[in-house]
Amino acid sequence: MILLIILLIPFITGLSLLFFRKAATARTVALISTVVNLLLTLSLLNADQSVTYSAQWINYLGIQFSLGYDGISTIMLLLTNLLFPFVVMAGFGRDQKNVPMLNCLILCAQAALIGVFLAQNAFLFYVFWELALIPVYFILLVWGGDDRKAITLKFFIYTLAGSLFLLFGIIYLYQLTPGTHTTDFSAFSQLHIPAGTQNWLFWILFIAFAIKMPIFPFHTWQPPTYKMASTQGVMILAGVMTKMGIYGALRFLFPVVPLGVLYWQNLVIIMSLIGVIYASVIAYKHTNLKTMIAYSSMAHISLMAAAMFVLNAYAYQGLIFQVLSHGVTIAALFYLACLVKEQTGTTEMPQLGGLKINAPNMAILFLIILLGSIALPLTAGFVGEFLMITGLFQQSIWFALFGGLTMILGAIYMLYAYQRVMLGDKKVAFAKATDLRALDYWILVPLIVVILGLGIYPQPIFDILKPVAEVFSGLAH
Amino acid sequence: MVGSIPNMNLAVLVPALPLLGFLITGLAYKRLKHNQAGIIASIAVGLSFLISVALFFMLRNSGQNSATVTLFNWIALGNMNIPFAFLIDHLSLTMMLIITGVGTLIHIYSIGYMHGDDRVNSFFAQMNLFTFSMLLLVMGANYLVLFIGWEGVGLCSYLLIGFWFKNPAYNYAARKAFVMNRIGDVGFILGIILLFYTFKSVSFSEIFTQAATLQVGAPVITLITLLLLVGAVGKSAQIPLYTWLPDAMAGPTPVSALIHAATMVTAGIYMIARSSILYNLAPITLNVIIVIGMATATFAAIIGLKQNDIKKVLAYSTVSQLGYMFLALGLGAYSTGVFHVTTHAFFKALLFLGAGSVIHAMGGEQDIRKMGGLRKKMPITYITFLAATLAISGIPPFSGFFSKDMILSKALEHNILLYILALGTALITCFYMFRLLYLVFFGEQRMSGAHPHESPKVMTVPLMILSVLSVFGGFLNIPSLFGGNLSFSNYLDSAVVSKSSEEIGHTTEIGMIFLSVVLLVVIIYWAYQTYVRKAQIPSGDEVKQTPLQRIITNKFYINEIYQTAFEKPFGLLSNFLFKKVESIILGPAVDEVGTITSKLGDLTRKLQRGNISFYLFAMVAGILLFVVFILTN
Repeated sequence: MILLIILLIPFITGLSLLFFRKAATARTVALISTVVNLLLTLSLLNADQSVTYSAQWINYLGIQFSLGYDGISTIMLLLTNLLFPFVVMAGFGRDQKNVPMLNCLILCAQAALIGVFLAQNAFLFYVFWELALIPVYFILLVWGGDDRKAITLKFFIYTLAGSLFLLFGIIYLYQLTPGTHTTDFSAFSQLHIPAGTQNWLFWILFIAFAIKMPIFPFHTWQPPTYKMASTQGVMILAGVMTKMGIYGALRFLFPVVPLGVLYWQNLVIIMSLIGVIYASVIAYKHTNLKTMIAYSSMAHISLMAAAMFVLNAYAYQGLIFQVLSHGVTIAALFYLACLVKEQTGTTEMPQLGGLKINAPNMAILFLIILLGSIALPLTAGFVGEFLMITGLFQQSIWFALFGGLTMILGAIYMLYAYQRVMLGDKKVAFAKATDLRALDYWILVPLIVVILGLGIYPQPIFDILKPVAEVFSGLAH
Repeated sequence: MVGSIPNMNLAVLVPALPLLGFLITGLAYKRLKHNQAGIIASIAVGLSFLISVALFFMLRNSGQNSATVTLFNWIALGNMNIPFAFLIDHLSLTMMLIITGVGTLIHIYSIGYMHGDDRVNSFFAQMNLFTFSMLLLVMGANYLVLFIGWEGVGLCSYLLIGFWFKNPAYNYAARKAFVMNRIGDVGFILGIILLFYTFKSVSFSEIFTQAATLQVGAPVITLITLLLLVGAVGKSAQIPLYTWLPDAMAGPTPVSALIHAATMVTAGIYMIARSSILYNLAPITLNVIIVIGMATATFAAIIGLKQNDIKKVLAYSTVSQLGYMFLALGLGAYSTGVFHVTTHAFFKALLFLGAGSVIHAMGGEQDIRKMGGLRKKMPITYITFLAATLAISGIPPFSGFFSKDMILSKALEHNILLYILALGTALITCFYMFRLLYLVFFGEQRMSGAHPHESPKVMTVPLMILSVLSVFGGFLNIPSLFGGNLSFSNYLDSAVVSKSSEEIGHTTEIGMIFLSVVLLVVIIYWAYQTYVRKAQIPSGDEVKQTPLQRIITNKFYINEIYQTAFEKPFGLLSNFLFKKVESIILGPAVDEVGTITSKLGDLTRKLQRGNISFYLFAMVAGILLFVVFILTN
């Protein structure tokens, strides 16, 4: 029942926001809703993972409305509900049009994402997967920046095209199930599909997730979308929605088409590692701060994709750990990019510089988050990347070496960007730039606490993952 | 939490105090006034030093060689169990005493040196953070805790090199240092991972116990030691990853003394000495270390001959001395290497602080061609600088003599050619150091309008203490030739397993010392003739030089080569990938799919342009097909 409540709170609150007129009230109600949801999620962490919710839904198709969770979905749920309060807060005190509608869409997106991570059958998963796209589409289209129409359309069509393959895959699997057919994940994982079928079915299922993550070369929708999106929009997209791809791949590929995974394993790892290097190299000379962060995100996600396919328990736990760590870090980075834009009117780095003189605290917090991004030890990023590289090493030392290059390349592009934005002498145009406001601390400091806290004491996350990790490493053999 | 030694938990305070100092000075950096930050930071490190001294005696009285203090389980999953733990043994204690001891002096000195800088509070916060990281590095009980400190000191080095962040050149130097260190770090972390897969552990005690059963020359050990070596080469500025260290002189001078001379750059030597058991199993790697160390020592010393910036001379000298330490490691004389780390920490910290005192007096001028005659104006700085110069040159009985002589005799035991190179490098060192000394302190003052003055007590007292250490520090490890018993090396024996080698006879050793002393005196006399008697001042940059001189002045163009070979192509590749591959190939490819779709749409649209007779035709045709389909089944 509690799962249903967690799913419904943002949905119902979101719709009720449409009855409010005042922006401040709408924001406050939205914030309360997300905080309550976060607290409920935290209370779940201690519960045993047998809590489920199930109701009759489309009986004649054998489809139920069933929610449940395991270690992976717990982390996904935690990430979603941890980030959304900050997404809502990022709107506070800012000049936005139609605030109640905006917050309604944000909460609906949250509800849909929660649904994706809790769904226990493929049909329900697919419904929420597509549902999540709709509010985000409008957030991008109405509240986005320059060129939003063309870019949003590309984003929408690109992801939708991927989803169609997924839908086909689900229907195909559905008709394979014995008896009165079902789309339950548990039934899918017992299908024992012949190897030849798995080899092509793998791509049908994977393409949607590969686009969502995205991995090279399915990424071209991402940098322009991140650049154009509003701060809240990009926090949702980069913080949580990219993780839908990883989650989906873990749910669909490994249990359902394990032979297909083994068959394509090295190809996907190599594609992902190409993505790591490719995105990192582009990020170096890139001139726009937001796009640079987008490419850095792609590099990190690509490493996670590579780690996913080595089928190694260390890599696997590192990957899930990194889901949380990356989500928090990237959301904080994009929020900082938003602050830079507010203070200077631009995110074009050649025009920036010397912001540290007027905004020393912003520079310090930027630096800490950046260090999380380049995986300095005692930040969460290090724990995740260390485990992933450890896993890659078991497959091949070359995989580990190319994965490890993120350590060097990340330092190259991130510190260069930091220098171009924060260091150097003051530019006259930014003479009036000011340091962080109270609200900014309320958003950035908790995120930093998570980044450092998980880096210093990551054990609670491993404890959550332990049961799944055991199952997973069993699968790998 | 601890073995059997009571109160060993005190060890936690050693890194905790600088961390606390960092938090206080860092969080209150806008509120602290005057010298408050400097005093807090100095007290924090000073207390750490006192506790380290206490730990030293506690361990000695306990009769044990080491103690482990475990705080909590950092990463524990599956077979992997990595505790956040400290190892207190003779090696880590030695390093702790150097870091906190020399560190305290440099912190106090900085109160005077950084006085009046508007970001002095941030400076001390970062210095304390560095001390904390450096202590983690040497106290960690496993490779991963060591790695936390390892990357932490890299971060602080980055921050402090770029401390004056308005200057783009300094920021570039800071980034360069961090990136070159990270190149090493990737090797290091891969080495750690391979250690984990080989020994199912990253903790020193477990790895070294298991390694005892391995064969000398096992490929996996060779690979591990080479990977760890990559990390050490980056951190300790050896060929080919040394070019960041001279640029690192962009930071305030106390930073150069603490980070880029006394402590951080010796981390690579510490790590290899710590892993001595593994390196003893890998003769190939040891030979690689000999080559790298010897080449770096000589190469950097030659460049040092033509430098005219007081800090750059010292920087190349540091690279060169680190090369000596590597040479010692490669020869399997790990404790000798650590001994040179120790004496070097004394005299090189002193040289940098003395240089800082000079720069302070000259109003920021660093060009030795514009100095001169400071001997009378700054007597304390002069005397202490002289002591350090004698020490680094290896004149008996100053500290550098003992450590360098031990390295020379190890080199002679190994190979006569190695000895000649090492001796030659020592002579070059002696020449460029006395060139520096004479140009700065002797002759006439060459900068008009400058009124140099002696530095305040807060700066000179640390100089005096360090000069005492530079003069007498060598007595820690007196060889049997002089009636000593190598107490320093013996102390390290429980933690560091040096390779035994054939001892050269006392007669040979006396002859060797005699030879080097005679040559050193000749060199000093020559330098005196050139720079004091004839008062030759190195020519300005505009004067024509011989090709060889030009190559040395330009540091063999290594920076330019790296820029052309790596940095520029990387930038070009970045632009190429974005402007060509991303924008012209990949992006449009997707748009093309979109265009095709819309063309297909046009095609299908033709079926639906409102022609009712076509619809009717299609409907009838459909029904007919359906009927046929049913009938045929």
